[in-house]
Amino acid sequence: MAGASVKVAVRVRPFNSREIGRNAKCVIQMQGNTTCISNPKQPKDGAKNFTFDYSYWSHTTPDDPGFTSQTQVYKDIGEEMLLHAFEGYNVCIFAYGQTGAGKSYTMMGKQEPGQEGIIPQLCEDLFQRTGENTDPDLTYSVEVSYMEIYCERVRDLLNPKSQGTLRVREHPILGPYVEDLSKLAVTGFTDIRDLMDAGNKARTVAATNMNETSSRSHAVFTIVFTQKRRDQMTSLDTEKVSKISLVDLAGSERADSSGAKGMRLKEGANINKSLTTLGKVISALAEMQSSKKRKSDFIPYRDSVLTWLLKENLGGNSRTAMIAALSPADINYEETLSTLRYADRAKQIRCNAVINEDPNAKLIRELKAEVERLRNLLFSQGLQELLDNAVNNNNNINNGPGGVAGASPSPLQLALTSNGITPENGPAPPGAEPVSEGDTPADPDQLIEDGEEREEGESTENISKEEAAERLMETEKIIAELNETWEEKLRKTESIRLERESLLVEMGVSIKEDGGTLGVFSPKGTPHLVNLNEDPLMSECLLYYIKEGVTRVGQQDVDIKLSGQFIKEIHCVFVSETNEQGEAARKSVSGGHSGAVSRSRDLR
Amino acid sequence: MAATQQEARSCARTPKRTNMASFNSNEWRAICDKFTNAQNLTEIESRNDPENDPFRSKYKARELLREIYCSLKNFEAGEGEEEGGGESGDQRPTEQPVDGQREDLFGQGFSGDSPAGLRAAKLGAVEYYLGVNHVDTEELPAGQEHLMNCMKLLERCRVSSLNVSLFIHVRNQLGILWAGRDETETAQGFLETAESIYQRYMKEDGSPPTDMTEYFAAEESLLTHQERIKRFELAYTHTMYYLAQVYKNLGQTERAATYCHTTLQRQLQLNQFTPMEWALNAATLSQYYITKGRYMEGRHCLSAATVISDLAGEVPSEAESERREHLRQKRAEIARCWIKYCLNLLQDAKKQLEDNIGELDTDRQEELKRARRREEEEEEKGRKSALLFGSEDTFDSIASIEEKAKDYFQMDGYVTDHIEILQDHSALFRSLAFFEEDLERRCKMHKRRVDMLEPICNDLNAQYYLMIRRQLMFELAETYNEMMDLKLALANRQADTQSLDNHTIKKFNHLCSASAKYFQMFLDSLCSPEGKFPERLEEEVLRPALVARFRVARLHSRFISTSPTVQLDNLNKSLENYKYVVQYCEANPEAGATVETELELSKEMAGLLPLKINRLKARMASNN
Repeated sequence: MAGASVKVAVRVRPFNSREIGRNAKCVIQMQGNTTCISNPKQPKDGAKNFTFDYSYWSHTTPDDPGFTSQTQVYKDIGEEMLLHAFEGYNVCIFAYGQTGAGKSYTMMGKQEPGQEGIIPQLCEDLFQRTGENTDPDLTYSVEVSYMEIYCERVRDLLNPKSQGTLRVREHPILGPYVEDLSKLAVTGFTDIRDLMDAGNKARTVAATNMNETSSRSHAVFTIVFTQKRRDQMTSLDTEKVSKISLVDLAGSERADSSGAKGMRLKEGANINKSLTTLGKVISALAEMQSSKKRKSDFIPYRDSVLTWLLKENLGGNSRTAMIAALSPADINYEETLSTLRYADRAKQIRCNAVINEDPNAKLIRELKAEVERLRNLLFSQGLQELLDNAVNNNNNINNGPGGVAGASPSPLQLALTSNGITPENGPAPPGAEPVSEGDTPADPDQLIEDGEEREEGESTENISKEEAAERLMETEKIIAELNETWEEKLRKTESIRLERESLLVEMGVSIKEDGGTLGVFSPKGTPHLVNLNEDPLMSECLLYYIKEGVTRVGQQDVDIKLSGQFIKEIHCVFVSETNEQGEAARKSVSGGHSGAVSRSRDLR
Repeated sequence: MAATQQEARSCARTPKRTNMASFNSNEWRAICDKFTNAQNLTEIESRNDPENDPFRSKYKARELLREIYCSLKNFEAGEGEEEGGGESGDQRPTEQPVDGQREDLFGQGFSGDSPAGLRAAKLGAVEYYLGVNHVDTEELPAGQEHLMNCMKLLERCRVSSLNVSLFIHVRNQLGILWAGRDETETAQGFLETAESIYQRYMKEDGSPPTDMTEYFAAEESLLTHQERIKRFELAYTHTMYYLAQVYKNLGQTERAATYCHTTLQRQLQLNQFTPMEWALNAATLSQYYITKGRYMEGRHCLSAATVISDLAGEVPSEAESERREHLRQKRAEIARCWIKYCLNLLQDAKKQLEDNIGELDTDRQEELKRARRREEEEEEKGRKSALLFGSEDTFDSIASIEEKAKDYFQMDGYVTDHIEILQDHSALFRSLAFFEEDLERRCKMHKRRVDMLEPICNDLNAQYYLMIRRQLMFELAETYNEMMDLKLALANRQADTQSLDNHTIKKFNHLCSASAKYFQMFLDSLCSPEGKFPERLEEEVLRPALVARFRVARLHSRFISTSPTVQLDNLNKSLENYKYVVQYCEANPEAGATVETELELSKEMAGLLPLKINRLKARMASNN
C-alpha cells in the first residue's frame, strides 16, 4: 500500500473578538474542496485558488448549511485514520497553521458536547471499539508518549525525571524510536486526557521558564496501539502494533519578535542576512539542482529531527493526514497564504521510494532472440505438421532446420545457444537437480569461491569498549522494555504520575484532589493565578492558589515557584485577607514575568 | 527626501548655529558618545528586549541617531552659510537614482577626503544607521528612504578610502530590502554595483578603508589597519553572499554556486569561519557540482571540506558526548558526500562507455584506456572513502550486521542512513564491476553486494522499513541475475566446447532461483495485509511490479533441468507471469506506456510459450 499520498484538509475558523473589534474582513472563500484567498491590499489581483482533499468552512455558525462541525472533521479524517490503525498501519495527523488560527480547536477542541476535537474523539472511539470486543483471544493495549521538539532537541513531556534531550534513533526490528522516551500505559480515554493535559503543562512550564515560544516547537503525541491475538491451537501470540501520531507542527508565523529575523516561513525572494545561514542557501541550491537531474547526492540534514519525524510518517507503510488551520482575517493574509502554500506542497508529498532498476537492455536482447527462435520453430513445426500430421509424437527435434530447435532440455539450450554450445553435444548430467524456488540459498561461499577478506570485518575492531558497552546498555534497555508486563507498565505509569504531580505541587501549581490536573477548573471560592500564553493550548494551563495569609512568589523558598530570566528571587507577595463578604487578593510588587505574564484573578 | 527634510525641520535650531560652525571638542565628544551608545543599544541591549516590547532598545537608539543627525545638520547649515551657498544649493533635482545606471562613481563629485566629502559621509552614515534601524523595526518604507538619502549624499562624492565602506554597506542593505519585496532585479542592481565598486577600489586604491564607526570615534580609538581591512572585507563577503541568493532566486544556479563558492573562499581567507560548519557547507556545495557533472569542482570542495573538518580537531573522549557525537556525525556526512562523488563519477564514466545494451563498447577501447587510468585512481579513492566511512562512523558501522556482533550491535540508531550507505556502497561495486574485465572478479564484486544487502533485507522490520526493503529486494534480485549471467559466461569461456558440469549447473540454478525469489518477495510486499495482490497497482510501483513479473517469467524459463516435469512446471510459471503482464496492460491500458518493450515481448512470449509447452508435453507423452 505504498505511495498513498498525504490527505490534506484546510479549515477556516470564525473571527475572534480581537478581529471583530478591528472590523476584520474575511479573505477566505470556499467552494467544494477549493479554497480561495484574496489579497486585501490588491483586490484587483485575482484571488488565488487551492484545491485540497477537504476545505472546511467553519467561519460561520452551525446554522449555515455549509458549516463544518467538529464531528464532520472527525468523521472524514479521524475515523479513517483510526480504521487504518486497526488494520495495523501507522497513522499520523499533522496540524499546521499560525498560532491562533484554530489548530488547537481542531485537534483538541473544547470539553463541551459536540465541541471535542479530533484527538478526544479518536481516543474515545478507540476505546469504544476495543470495549466492544467479545473475542477472548483478542486483547488490546494502549500506551502513550508525548514529546516536544524544540530547536533540534527532543523533550519528554510526561516524565519529569527525564532531563535534557533525548536522542532519536532507529532500530532495525523495532523501527524508529526515541531513546528513553517514557511510554505510559493507559486504560481509558480519561487517562489519555489527563496525560495530554499533564504534557501540556510540562510544555508550558518549560516554555515559560526558558522564555521559549511554543510557536517554534513541534509537539508529538503518540498512541501505541497493540492488538494481540492468541492462537488457541498453538498457544502463540501474534501482535499487531500500530502507532497513532498526532503532531502539532510549529507555527508558520514569525517565530520571534525580539529581533531574530529570517524565521518567517516565507517563500520567495528573501535574502538571509547572516552568514550563518550559508549552509541553508547551499543546501537549497543543491536540492534545486538534484530535483532536475536524477543523480544521487547527499545533502546533510539541517532539520534532522523534523526530517526524522517526517521520514517516519511519510516513509511508506503509514497513512498520513494534514490539517492546516486558517485565520479568515485580512490582517493575517500573508500568514494564511503561506499556510495555504505549505498545505499545497504537502499534497505533493509522496513517499518517493523509487525502485531503481538496472537497465534490462541485455535481457531484452536475449529475449528477442528467443522470440525469433520460437517463431522459427513455429514456422518449421507448422510445415512439419502440414507434412506429417500424425507423426507428431515422433517429432525428431534434434534435426530441426538450421539446428535451431530442440526442446530438450530446452531452457538450457536457450540459455546457451548464443554462446555456441549446443546441449546435444553433452546433455546435462543426470545429477543436475532442479533447484526449486523456495529453496534456501546454499552457502554462497561454496558457489563463489571467495576467500577475500571482508572490509566489514575490520571495522568491527574499531568499536571502542566504551561504545560497545553503550550499545550493550541500549540493547538491554530495549529488551527490558519488551519484557515488561502490562502490570509493570501500569505501575511505572503510576509512579511517573506521582512524580509529575509532586513536581507541580512543589512549584505551587495546584492539582485536583483526585490527582487530575485537567484543564482549567476555576475554583470558585479561592483566589488564584493562571498563566497566560499566546498559544491558547498553553494558556490558563497552570493554576496557582493564593492561600489565606501570605503567598510568596519567586525563585527560592517560596510558595509559588517560578523560574525564568526575569523572575526575581522573591518576585512578589500576595496577601489574602478574608472579610465578611468574601476574600480579596492583593497583589504587591509587580514585575514582568516575561512570556507568560501571570495575572491575578480577583474574585468579586 | 521627505524624511530628511522633515527631520531637518524638526531639528531644533540651537544657538550653535550662530556660533562658529565647527564643533568644539566637547560638543563633538557628546556626539561620539551618543553614537557609541546607539551602537551599543542596537547591537547588545536589543537582545534583552522583552517580548512585549521587542524594539525598545532600537527605538532608543533611533532617538540618539536622530539627535546626532540634527547636530550634524545644524553644523552643516552653519558651515554652509559660511561657505556661502553650500552644497545644498547646487543639489541637482534628484530623481530616484537607480543603481547600476549611474555615472562614474570614481571620477565625479568632490573628493571623499575633502571636508565637504567627509561631512557628506558622516551625514550619510547616520542616514545609513537610521535606515538599518527602521528596517530592523519593520518600518521598511522609512528605512528605504533613509538608505536612499545616504545614497544621495554619497552620490556627490568620489569613492575614496574614507567612504568606500559606506558605499558598499548601504547597497548591501538596499539589496536585502528589495529582495524582501520580491524585486530581485532591483536588489541585483544594488549588489552588483557594490561588487564593482569594491573591485575597482581594490584595483585603484586598496588602502585600508575607514570604517563608518570611525567617523564618530575619538582620535585615540581609531581602528588598526588590520581591523579596518577585516571589517571592509566582511562587508564585501556579505555582498557576495547576498548576490549568491539573488542569483539563486533568479534561477541562475550556476552563478549562485559560484558566489557561494566565493563566499566560502573568502570566509577561509579572512579566517572568519567555524571549521565544521564551513566544511559541511563545502561538502554540500560539492553535491551541487557533482550533480552538474563538474567533478573537478566537486572534488575540490570535498578535499577542502576534509582538510578543514580536521581543523575542528579531535574531540577528547571526555568531551561532552553530545558534542562528540555532533562532530562525528558531521565527519560522517562529509564522508557520505565523498561516496556520492565517487559513485556519480563512476556511473557517469560508465554511461559514456556503455553501448546500447549495457556492455562495454569495444569501439571505445582507446577512450576506455584513458578513462581507466582515471577510474583506477577513483576506484582506489572510492574504496578508501567507503572504508573511511566504515571506520569513522561506527554507529553506521557495517560491522553491526556481522555475525557475532549481531546480537548486540544491531541496535544501530540510524537504520535508514546506514542502509543508504550500504546501498551506495553496493552501487559503487556495481559500477566498479563494469570496469572489471576479469569475469571472476566481476562476479565477486556482485557477491559482495549480495553479502552486504541480503542480511539487512531479511532482518529489517517489514512494516517500518517497507520502502527500503522493496528497494533492497529489487536490487538483490538484479544482482543475483547478474551473477547468474556471469557464471554462465564464465563457464562457457572455460569449458569452451564442453558441456556445463554438474557443479556449474547447480550454481546457475541456485542463482536463478535466488533472483526469482527476490523478485517474488518484492511482488509479495505489494500485497494487502490479507495477502491479496492488488488489482490496481499504485503509480509508484507500477513499472517495478510489471518489470518484476516480466523478469520472473524470464528466470523461470532459464532453469536448467533434465526432468521434463520440472521443465514443464517452470515453463508454465513463466507463461503465467508473461500473461499477467499482458492481461494487466489490457485491463489498464495506461500501464502499457510504462513498460512498452517488456509488454511487446511478453505478448510474443505469451503467444509462443504454449507451443513450446505443447511440444514438451508431446515429447513427454511419447516417452512414456
